Amino acid sequence: MTAQLTMEQVSGALKEYGSAEQVRKNRIRVSTDTQKILSAIKAAQQFLDCDHLILISCTDDTGSFGLTYHLTGPHRTVISLAVAVPRESPQVFSVSDILPPAAIYERQIHDLFGIVFSGHPGLSKLMLNEDWPDGEYPLRKDWKPNKANSYGGAAQGGT
Amino acid sequence: MAEVMVPIGPQHPALKEPVNFRIYVEGEKIVRLELDLSYNHRGIEKAAEERNFIRVLPLLERVCGICSHSHATAFVKGIEEIMGLEVPARGQYIRTIIAELERMHSHLLWLGVAAHEIGFNTLLMWTWRDREAVLDTLEEMSGNRVHYNMNEIGGVRLDLSEKQVEAAQQRLPVLEERIAQYVDMVSHQETMLLRFRGVGKLSKEEILKYGTVGPTARASGVDYDVRRDDPYLVYDEVPWNVVTDSSGDVYGRTKVRIGELSESLKIVRHCIENLPGGPIRVTSAPKAAPKGEILSRYEAPRGELAHFIRTNGTDKADRLDIRTPTLANWTSVAKALVNQNLADIPVIVAAIDPCLSCTSRMTVIDTGTMAQGSISWEELVRKCRARYGTEVQP
Repeated sequence: MTAQLTMEQVSGALKEYGSAEQVRKNRIRVSTDTQKILSAIKAAQQFLDCDHLILISCTDDTGSFGLTYHLTGPHRTVISLAVAVPRESPQVFSVSDILPPAAIYERQIHDLFGIVFSGHPGLSKLMLNEDWPDGEYPLRKDWKPNKANSYGGAAQGGT
Repeated sequence: MAEVMVPIGPQHPALKEPVNFRIYVEGEKIVRLELDLSYNHRGIEKAAEERNFIRVLPLLERVCGICSHSHATAFVKGIEEIMGLEVPARGQYIRTIIAELERMHSHLLWLGVAAHEIGFNTLLMWTWRDREAVLDTLEEMSGNRVHYNMNEIGGVRLDLSEKQVEAAQQRLPVLEERIAQYVDMVSHQETMLLRFRGVGKLSKEEILKYGTVGPTARASGVDYDVRRDDPYLVYDEVPWNVVTDSSGDVYGRTKVRIGELSESLKIVRHCIENLPGGPIRVTSAPKAAPKGEILSRYEAPRGELAHFIRTNGTDKADRLDIRTPTLANWTSVAKALVNQNLADIPVIVAAIDPCLSCTSRMTVIDTGTMAQGSISWEELVRKCRARYGTEVQP
């Protein structure tokens, strides 16, 4: 374990990507935009020694989707890089090539929220069954099961 | 030689959990694998948005049949932080005791499963017998063997009586002796050395690259442990050590888990002996939480568990995003299997202690009426029997 990162170190290293705020002890959040997320993560890896992705959290913020990449490193400070992905064209660059563990989290988010990660090596179904209807994303706030669709499992009346 | 695809699972004698691997092999050697985790998706994250904080806790306990306390604790400590609640010390100590007993029962279970995978069934019988002592303690304290349901917003549901503490204290020396025996055994037992050493090796660099967590990471010398890195409950008051190993193979993962058994026992003993008096929960916890966002981290038996919680001023979470340790560990399994023998799949997969019910979460939907809900055990048994024509006459 090394010394915890200070606000100055984080805002210094990531200043071109957005403003940093200390959300609580040992947690610093930086809001950036979808165009800069790849380079922001690269900068966090290079200058802030971040070597571990805790998770990519995804929220439905009505007009957009909020993606937050929570990173940490030997300093054990959690750096959260937040972006808003527009709902009408939910697309963002995949970070799986610079951060391999992101690949499985991106597949999960793609299944449940329908965000497309461009450049992802295999954005196939992971969490939802293979006969889940296309274009239905159950964790979106406006999703309701549609009577006309089959959500998998045995066909009506048995097989 | 041409590549051949071997499908394994979701129902397979060598796997204890519903997962499907499509394994590409050249001869006996594995080239790569693809996986499908969808067989047990229960939609718990969605269901959690519909329930208030009181009703969501029993649901979250059921994310996993082993780390039930982990999920509930990760959630309550996040909500408590948003609410600004100070949980009484006795409540935090009791939470820690349950958490570490849970780790012990989980690691003993794992040790048995790993032993079974290599055909060492004597050890399976031994560890599962010892695990009963841990489960008995948990049952005495909470009333349940697995879903303890000890957490409430602001503290714990049940206090520990003198009698319960005494009973636990009597079992600890026996467990200590048994664990010491496993520590000794792992250093020289022929079968374990032959089947665990050099299998499923991952270097420190690979662990960091693939985002592996928990005992799997610590066995390769990566000393991430949330209990020390981002202390919660009473881990910063209790003397204990993070266990690491440098071998990076299944053998190292076994040593780390056995080492953690001793550490957990130390923590439980310390907490029981130094259990502070006073209340076990706050007198009146608010029903609703103010608007807020929190990343709640917890060191579950299988590794770092993260709950991302967003509240919106009501008594329900606006969003609960759960990242389970098993999901984080799949990437490295896919990597560890490359160039290994097909026959080593069970033990390499078992070495991360995969838990798929945690990883995927489900609800029952009637495809005719689209009615959603849960299903009773009797109903499930009846339906299964009817489906397969095995209705048994009493």
